[in-house]
Amino acid sequence: MGEERVERFGRAFEALRGEIQKVIVGHDDIVEQVLVCLFVGGHVLLEGVPGLGKTLLVKTLSGCLDLSFSRIQFTPDLMPADIIGTNIIGEDAEGRRHFQFQRGPIFAHIVLADEVNRATPKTQSALLEAMQEGNVTVSGTAYPVPVPFFVLATQNPIEMEGTYPLPEAQLDRFLFKLRVRYPALEELNEIIERTTRAEEPTVGHALPGDQVSGFKELVREVPIASHVRELASTIVTATHPQWPQAPEVTRRYIRYGASPRAAQALVLGGKVLALRAGRFNVSAEDLKAITLPALRHRIILNFEGEAEGIDVDQLILQVVEAAEVEARRGKEVFFR
Amino acid sequence: MRSEEAIRAAVQRVGRIVRVRRAALYGLRGLAWGLTTGLIPLLGKAGLGPAALPAALALAAVGGMAGIVYGLLLPVPLREPARLVDRTFRLDDRLATAVEHLGQVPRGPLVEALIEDAADRVRDRDLGATVPWRWPREVRILPASALALWVLVLLPPVRFPEGVFPSLTPSGEQEAERQAQSVPVAQDRRLARARETAPRVEVQERDYLRRRGTGRETQQGDLSAIFRDTNIAQRRPDFSSFLKHGDDRLKILGQVESLPDLQRDFTQSQFRVAFRRAKRLLAGIRPDQVSPEKLRELLDEMRRLGRRGGGEEWGQDVWEGSEALADGRMQRALEAMERALSRMRAMEERSGKGLEGGRDRGRGQGRNPGMRGGEGEDFGEYEGSLPGKGTNPDWRGAPSTRLAQDPLDSAVEGQPRRGRRDAFDTNLLGKGSRNPSHLPYMSVYAQYRKMMEEALTKETIPLDYRTQVKEYFRALEER
Repeated sequence: MGEERVERFGRAFEALRGEIQKVIVGHDDIVEQVLVCLFVGGHVLLEGVPGLGKTLLVKTLSGCLDLSFSRIQFTPDLMPADIIGTNIIGEDAEGRRHFQFQRGPIFAHIVLADEVNRATPKTQSALLEAMQEGNVTVSGTAYPVPVPFFVLATQNPIEMEGTYPLPEAQLDRFLFKLRVRYPALEELNEIIERTTRAEEPTVGHALPGDQVSGFKELVREVPIASHVRELASTIVTATHPQWPQAPEVTRRYIRYGASPRAAQALVLGGKVLALRAGRFNVSAEDLKAITLPALRHRIILNFEGEAEGIDVDQLILQVVEAAEVEARRGKEVFFR
Repeated sequence: MRSEEAIRAAVQRVGRIVRVRRAALYGLRGLAWGLTTGLIPLLGKAGLGPAALPAALALAAVGGMAGIVYGLLLPVPLREPARLVDRTFRLDDRLATAVEHLGQVPRGPLVEALIEDAADRVRDRDLGATVPWRWPREVRILPASALALWVLVLLPPVRFPEGVFPSLTPSGEQEAERQAQSVPVAQDRRLARARETAPRVEVQERDYLRRRGTGRETQQGDLSAIFRDTNIAQRRPDFSSFLKHGDDRLKILGQVESLPDLQRDFTQSQFRVAFRRAKRLLAGIRPDQVSPEKLRELLDEMRRLGRRGGGEEWGQDVWEGSEALADGRMQRALEAMERALSRMRAMEERSGKGLEGGRDRGRGQGRNPGMRGGEGEDFGEYEGSLPGKGTNPDWRGAPSTRLAQDPLDSAVEGQPRRGRRDAFDTNLLGKGSRNPSHLPYMSVYAQYRKMMEEALTKETIPLDYRTQVKEYFRALEER
């Protein structure tokens, strides 16, 4: 029974990826990590310059899933009510007037928050509250968002004029932060080939929406060994400069390390990767495969790190390496 | 169930292999150290005789056995062999996870599937390759130790030369011979030693408490001592400090009569010289080990010091000490020397604790003209009654004869002036007044005022401070 469910998950994962790749050229790792987030039940922050296909990726994903989709273009004058909805006066059949809640675009399974850093913090917090709590409160009444609820926010890292960068506490609520990079030459040729011909690529429904919730439960059943769990904890703790065994790079360049949510993200993401590989357990390699998207937005560099232009991704790789050494420390010679 | 058993069997088998490999590792390590230690009895073969070789071999065997036992006794947690198998066969932590979840009740479908999967993957595997041989670092010294052992067995006993190390403890005969060759005083020392059972008067250095504001010892010719004992002693003598506190310094300079006598070196008082020499003489040795010659030199030195002054007080003690030393009575000579030191110290304290100067002299004259200080007088206790301090109405103190006698010295004379604030007009006299770096206060004022106006014009001074700066210079001008 277990094997069958895992196989079904693997097939669904591959089918979704196949459908998305009909439209999106390259970005295999981004597509995979977006799907990992979908099955974990987390939210994704996509960062990249305009024109790299961030919005297209999300729209394609919604097309592959039989789920409702809404797109919110964040602008400085966007108000919280524009996202979550508002009470309007309605009239029933007998002519009696009453307030009724008009749901905003956030009430969809897949929400694309385009250029999330262009809206004011007040509006951003309206979205982030729904992400964390899973419901929206208007005039004292809580309205649950549909399940599954998957927010994909995009932001542009270079156009900082007139933007409101997300604070660290809000960034922490995104499971992964994915950096969409510029396509390689062959990928660019393929993009031109696909997008400039008469017929546009279309995607079909690869997975019924209700199965996503079932797979989310399956993900949480995946067993994990204690030493793998300890590795996740060690990696996260090693990002804290206050930790006595923290590596030198951490002490030198990091001001604040990752939160416990990072460890949760590592383990849950690792479970999805294990299932995708047809395995019934999480391995250390699964964790290491997702350390970058899980940690890069949860680490705050200090002044020296910022001044020297330290790449957070490189820093994380060094921290992971040091954490592995730390995990082996003190073991008997045969078990190192 | 069969999968569970397969997993347990595989893990236990790897655990056994780990134990064997460990026993070999630690056994080799113990053997290497045992062989090295075994060289010691072979080196002492001359003394041990035929028992040397068995002793060496026994040490090597004990080392090896101890290593083996230690390796066998080390615990092997179940999950560690499982991790070794995972690592060897690249099982992605399947076996370790399965082993940890074997005892889980109830097991989920995924755990069941994991156990089945892990069991399938370890079945029919060559688990012997899981635990590789590890050679200890000590194995490098093993051949050398074995070779050295063999060579030492074949070689004749090594005889160490006798008398290589000189005897550091002289025998009783040598001691007696040395005493016989020494000066006659040494013969009496035995008698003196027998008598010296009573506790000796301890010589203690009674140092004076350094007064507040004095960072270091005053040396001869140190002009900064003028401001010691004042609240401005630690301030930097820069221009802004001068503008703010110049008057304070000038006031002090005006009290020329109360300045200390800088011509005199206080650190070289009679008592201190004698005390240091006595301390060097007696430091760290027993009374019976004091050299009579050195003691005689010290007493002679004290007698010479007494001729300069104060000798009437301790001269008798010094004479008694010399007499006792001539008679070979060391204990009595030492006691006389200590009495003389005590008297010197008492005289030093009466004379004002070594700080003889105008201030001190003035105080002594104020209290008892004609006498320098008094018995039991304490400098700090009467600080409030010093000129210019506390309750003493005489703020200038008694005049100093030194400045008047030395026409080449510098002096400051001044007159108090009444105005919006009390001020002091000062003039530098003597050779200091010809110093080219000397800047009269009122002549530099114009220059600094001009600089102030330029600074205000160039707006280097913040707007809010301009009025204050102008007011400050205006206040200076009024004086």
